[in-house]
Amino acid sequence: MLDAILLTPIAEIMAFPPFFFEVLIGGLLTGVMYALVALGFVLIFKASGVFNFSQGAMVLFAALTFVGLEDMGVPLILALVVTAAVMVAFAFAVERAVLRPLVGQAPITLFMATIGITFFLDGFGLTLWGSEVRRLDIGIPAEPLVIGDLFLNGFDVVAAAVCGALVLTLALFFQYTATGRALRAVADDHTAAMSVGIPLKVIWTIVWSVAGLAGLVAGIMWGAKLGVQPSLALIALKALPVLILGGFTSVPGAILGGLIIGAGEAVFEVFWVGLHGGASQDWFAYMLAMVVLLFRPQGLFGEKIIERV
Amino acid sequence: MDADAHSHEPRAPEPRSGRARAIGDVLLEVRNVTLRFGGVRALSDVSFDIKRGEIRAIIGPNGAGKSSMLNVINGFYQPQEGQIVFKGTPLKKMRPHFAATQGIARTFQNIALFKGMSTLDNVMTGRMLKMQASWFEQMLYVGRAKREEIEHRRFCEDIIDFLEIQAVRRTPVGKLPYGLQKRVELARALAAEPELLLLDEPMAGMNVEEKEDMCRFVLDVNEEFNTTVALIEHDMGVVMDISDRVVVLDYGELLADGTPDEVKADPEVIQAYLGVQHD
Amino acid sequence: MFYLETGQYKTSYAKDQQIFPLVQDRVGMVVILLVAFVAIPLLSSNYWLSTIMLPFLIYSLAAIGLNILTGYAGQLSLGTGGFMATGAFAAYKLTTAFPELHFVLVLILAGVITAFVGVLFGLPSLRIKGFYLAVATLAAQFFLVWLYNKNPWFTNYSASGVISAPPREVVPGVVVTGASGTPEAKYYFVLVLVVVLAWMAKNMARSKMGRAWMAIRDMDIAAEIIGIRPAATKLTAFAVSSFYIGIAGALWAFTYTGSVEALAFEINVSFDVLFMIIIGGLGTILGGFLGAAFIILFPIALNQSLLAMGLQNAIELASHLEFMIMGALIVTFLILEPHGLARLWQIFKQKLRTWPFPY
Repeated sequence: MLDAILLTPIAEIMAFPPFFFEVLIGGLLTGVMYALVALGFVLIFKASGVFNFSQGAMVLFAALTFVGLEDMGVPLILALVVTAAVMVAFAFAVERAVLRPLVGQAPITLFMATIGITFFLDGFGLTLWGSEVRRLDIGIPAEPLVIGDLFLNGFDVVAAAVCGALVLTLALFFQYTATGRALRAVADDHTAAMSVGIPLKVIWTIVWSVAGLAGLVAGIMWGAKLGVQPSLALIALKALPVLILGGFTSVPGAILGGLIIGAGEAVFEVFWVGLHGGASQDWFAYMLAMVVLLFRPQGLFGEKIIERV
Repeated sequence: MDADAHSHEPRAPEPRSGRARAIGDVLLEVRNVTLRFGGVRALSDVSFDIKRGEIRAIIGPNGAGKSSMLNVINGFYQPQEGQIVFKGTPLKKMRPHFAATQGIARTFQNIALFKGMSTLDNVMTGRMLKMQASWFEQMLYVGRAKREEIEHRRFCEDIIDFLEIQAVRRTPVGKLPYGLQKRVELARALAAEPELLLLDEPMAGMNVEEKEDMCRFVLDVNEEFNTTVALIEHDMGVVMDISDRVVVLDYGELLADGTPDEVKADPEVIQAYLGVQHD
Repeated sequence: MFYLETGQYKTSYAKDQQIFPLVQDRVGMVVILLVAFVAIPLLSSNYWLSTIMLPFLIYSLAAIGLNILTGYAGQLSLGTGGFMATGAFAAYKLTTAFPELHFVLVLILAGVITAFVGVLFGLPSLRIKGFYLAVATLAAQFFLVWLYNKNPWFTNYSASGVISAPPREVVPGVVVTGASGTPEAKYYFVLVLVVVLAWMAKNMARSKMGRAWMAIRDMDIAAEIIGIRPAATKLTAFAVSSFYIGIAGALWAFTYTGSVEALAFEINVSFDVLFMIIIGGLGTILGGFLGAAFIILFPIALNQSLLAMGLQNAIELASHLEFMIMGALIVTFLILEPHGLARLWQIFKQKLRTWPFPY
């Protein structure tokens, strides 16, 4: 047992370190994509207090719409614009049909409502576009990238760069623009923010739109890598444990959480395969998040929760 | 003890001096308690005691540490320094559950009822610690489970009668008006047959009539069940009328301690708390 | 007017605390039981019994289980599928290892094993609540299903990863599991179990345990201050809930499908059961039945109406539409009637009380 847990994996890592680094970097690159989805989620949570379960479904829906349009012969750029417009329209619809009627309800009710949104969005996307796996080619080369001893997947590097750029933009947007400041004000205290004239409804629509756009980018990248298929929603759902791990009030936490889980699950899958027998990515993120929660309920980087009577 | 002898006396809310009650030995002692939240001192070196059978008021301006004091007494907060001595046993810290088993019950400033449950169920939760039925008996609703449900129902109905909330027995408390909720909360605390009852602003937000009712209930509880009461209240009229002794806190420190008349006359209290004396 | 309690005076608390204090409700219950035990087996085909009634009853049981945890104790769980799988595989391992063990005992033990697993995954609830906990329970869902799927020990090294229910008798001569059990035998067996377990759930809900759960749900801090132990109460809810869900999972594998693989208990099962209690009514026993009936009948009705609209071969379309409509329904229910169908039933009874003279 000790052998499978400790000795064999370490021996394997030591035997050929470049391979370990390839796996690690591959994991980190995936982690950037998790971070992107997670960030859309943090925005929604901070601005509206809604724990948005449908983030994964938004990724799938955006990817389905994009690839569906492309298959119909719509040029890439136009497809991108139209899909973005659809995601913004979706944000409006959610604000109008779900958030507004449920304002003031318990957070858990809103959470369950987003599970309803998830089902609706999954069903809607699949009804429109069908459930077969669709190939998506956006012209990113798939040749391996050789850096010294390391062979890296060229596609992953480009995808991570795109997502990373977006993550950075979002983080800066949140920190330094007037809208970002308004968002943070709303996050701090809804009522107080309203009383100084920040329009809540507009803010909600903005954050859901931004989350939808982040979902679109993540969906395109993942879709190009794995094909656009229903299981994308499950992969994107890992943004939830990412957030729990990072502490989901924290933007840097979401980024670091994404990287930790991306790298952790890749390394665990490859080097601890003797222990678990494969396909551990299905649960690794969730189990890690659960164990972390047992010891740090606020996540690794979240603010400490103080209870009052 | 001889409190029983007095319980047959008329129970109208008479002035304090008109009541005769048995005030006994010390039930609970707060000994040099200091409570800090990070760098903020909520309580510093506070000491006082609560005697059996008395009504003890804790007053002070907003932020004086009154609620923190109650939270320390029933174990919700653990003080960094000092002790709580309950029935002669010094405790480094009190835990809420332990406090409940020791006979300390309380109500909250912002009402902490179980909003999805009916009035009756809320009051019944107050009897929780007195129920012995095993999960097996509960599952089959036999033996002690059935017996206890009926027995404690009777007790709770008495309290419901006493506090005059019969009409809302089956209503989910979330739907009740504020004043009634306050009463249900008192009923729940009473259901535990506490030796020490902590009331955090029992009359806050009430109109004059509701306040009078509540005063009467507090006095009745104190007299009929000989329950010791410690209460926080802002309404000075109420405090001076019903309490036996008053503790004054200011900025987490003990400012004065004595009978209402003594406290009222204390120049420090007048200066720090009441400000300039009007009229 | 037909549902009037006038004249039914309760002269003792014992009478007032019956499950059905009103004569009408008691009569109603007897009628329902007569229908369930006599009319349905007489009138319905084997097909109806084994494809509608069995999953309905089993899903009701799972919904009661989840409702104990989520509706009564307020701990949202998305791990129902994983716990059902645990029950199914525990029952399979037990009954193949000890073939002479009576099947009811196997079910109870499978429930107990699931309860242990449930408590284990319920541990985070001691530190976290709400959606934090929901995400933690996803760990149970993904890990458990992966575990039974990946580890051939759980399927007794069957090549396909599928477990097939061996025939087990409940009384000599009456097989209630697998392919050799008749639909009637299975139906009666499951029905009796569900009725007994539902009655027990109601008993727990109306006594000390149930009040402790609800107190924790409504305000955990206040509950602690009146002497309820939050940790013990939450873990009891996890245990009881998982016990029910485990038995439901075992029944699913042994009586309804007869053979099953771990992947059959994927995350959508968790959502289905969650939707049952949202639609049926959180925090009621009746809600479990209403919600299960709805979730079972809804896809059938949808399929029929698509067929009626002349859409042949629309199975895929129907399943996608089902997702969509279900999602919309959940949101609608949460907005309009968060207490679900059970509450609508109550309102209906209230109306019936005064009908036809509501003033």
